Amino acid sequence: MDSTMSLAASGARTRPDGDRSHIGRITVIALVFALLAAMVLSMTTGASGASLGNLIGSLISGSEGADALRDYAVIVNIRLPRMVLGVLIGAGLAVSGLLMQGLFRNPLADPGLVGVSSGAALGAVVIIVLGGTALAPFTTALGIWSLPAAAFGGGLVTTFVLYRVATRGGQTAIATMLLAGIAIGALAGAFSGVLTYIASENQLRDLTFWGMGSLAGATWIKVLAAGPIIFAALVVAGFLAKGLNAMTLGEATASHLGVPVQRFKRITIVAVAAATGASVAVSGGIGFVGIVVPHLLRLAIGPDHRYLLPASALLGATFLLICDALSRTIVAPAEVPIGIVTAAFGGPFFLWILLHRRSAFAW
Amino acid sequence: MIDIDSVSVTLGARQILDDVSLSAPSGKLTAIIGPNGSGKSTLLKALCRDHAYSGVISIDGRDIAQMSPLEIASLRAVLPQSSNLPFPFTVREVVAMGLTVGRPGVDRRALHHLPDEALSRVDLGGFGGRFYGELSGGEQQRVQLARVLCQVWEPVIDGVPRYLFLDEPVSSLDIKHQLMIMDVAKRFARQGGGVIAVLHDLNLTALYADTILALRDGRVVESGPPEAVLTDTVLERVFDVPLRVGLAPRAGTFVLPQSVRADAMSAA
Repeated sequence: MDSTMSLAASGARTRPDGDRSHIGRITVIALVFALLAAMVLSMTTGASGASLGNLIGSLISGSEGADALRDYAVIVNIRLPRMVLGVLIGAGLAVSGLLMQGLFRNPLADPGLVGVSSGAALGAVVIIVLGGTALAPFTTALGIWSLPAAAFGGGLVTTFVLYRVATRGGQTAIATMLLAGIAIGALAGAFSGVLTYIASENQLRDLTFWGMGSLAGATWIKVLAAGPIIFAALVVAGFLAKGLNAMTLGEATASHLGVPVQRFKRITIVAVAAATGASVAVSGGIGFVGIVVPHLLRLAIGPDHRYLLPASALLGATFLLICDALSRTIVAPAEVPIGIVTAAFGGPFFLWILLHRRSAFAW
Repeated sequence: MIDIDSVSVTLGARQILDDVSLSAPSGKLTAIIGPNGSGKSTLLKALCRDHAYSGVISIDGRDIAQMSPLEIASLRAVLPQSSNLPFPFTVREVVAMGLTVGRPGVDRRALHHLPDEALSRVDLGGFGGRFYGELSGGEQQRVQLARVLCQVWEPVIDGVPRYLFLDEPVSSLDIKHQLMIMDVAKRFARQGGGVIAVLHDLNLTALYADTILALRDGRVVESGPPEAVLTDTVLERVFDVPLRVGLAPRAGTFVLPQSVRADAMSAA
């Protein structure tokens, strides 16, 4: 008994104080299971009575009744692309937020708050309104990718401008960043407004539907259009973890630690713009995922990006799938746009951060 | 050997450094001294490539302008004057960032205990689980030193010396920890590494430096061994105040400031 006790004690002692990597690892594994559960929830929730169990049952038994065909159509053509898109966009938005927070050394940076989403939206609006006329060569050349590409371009320009305006000598003043974000957002909004004014009636309907932020229109085409871009951004982000940790010490110190800072910043900005732009292009503005998810995780596992990055991607995807399931059930058979659900969670959460953790931001 | 050859730095129209040259050999502790605004920190920034400069700076014969950040980071570590962190890292997590540059050929498991050893060396054993932001300025400074030590833990690898650049390493420390940190730096040099430190305290400089570079208005006033630089005349030219350098029987060289105003002392 005594020997096992001391063995256990010495086992505990080999993990040094302040090493939270085990919490990070366990959380990432737990979040994998949480995401799987959310995926099942997403596949089984919806206005129609289609049941995943029935479909699998009928596939196994080989029966091809009308019900089975309908269920197949609902699940494979509607719910499955919606779920895949939800996973990608949730992960993309959460990781974009995390990357911006690391880049700006600021826990309040988020593509939605500082105008990057507005810039991406402007890019998308340009294509929706002018894609058939003035920009027809662009849309014909890029096909289904023209919308995400334009949103990516809009996001890229705004992130770059924001960085140039808000960052001096590697330090970002939080007030400057938020104010610059408001200015950029207003400017992008003004241009979008002008375009809305000249839009045709059909385009107006597209714009309104798209602008509310929703996964409702998910199709395999949209998955194909935005998916590869978001996926690529997520893969790239995976290589930025150590650099992001070093960047929290400041740009100069990160460079002393061997991070090629200028190239690192460019890659990070492109990844943020790609993930945000592609998400905005297919789902409109879905806010707060990028700020709520990383913040919660930082409280749970600490700010080490090696664990924070995968955990944010997983929790972001899980969070968005749950919000989407809620958006489909709260007023069933109608749907609430998912942007409203995330805002209903995110708004109060953001206020809570401001109330209780203001001292942590030293402003 | 760190070779600084005719380095000049201009900021706008202002010349911050004017034709500064210095050779800082491995195995030695080189101190840079001078009044505020003399260009000490700028020189260190140029050494770290944080500042554009004209002239040539090389590490062991290789021009640092031609090296990648990763190559340089494997040869030298830099202690900044102060660092604040926007996120709640633990002390150990901060120190472990010194391992950002991988060690080719070294097992990752072997590196696992390095942050804890580094913390003990700066007298912060047991602080690993504390939050960095909750420590005092002096403690944070020592955490940063532990991180820097992690980066260049072995002063020499395969016969290649490595370097520590320290920007006012003891400015916010009590006397015990000033000595302790300077001892750590000196030991690094004794084991074959090179140290370049910007220092304000002339007595610590006298106690620890092997070579001294004295700057004023961006120009070298004098450089060489302590006995050549720590003299009444040189120090008065550098700092523009009366100073007396003495030799205590058992303690060695000391520097005693004299009041600038002759009447101040008599009035007291």
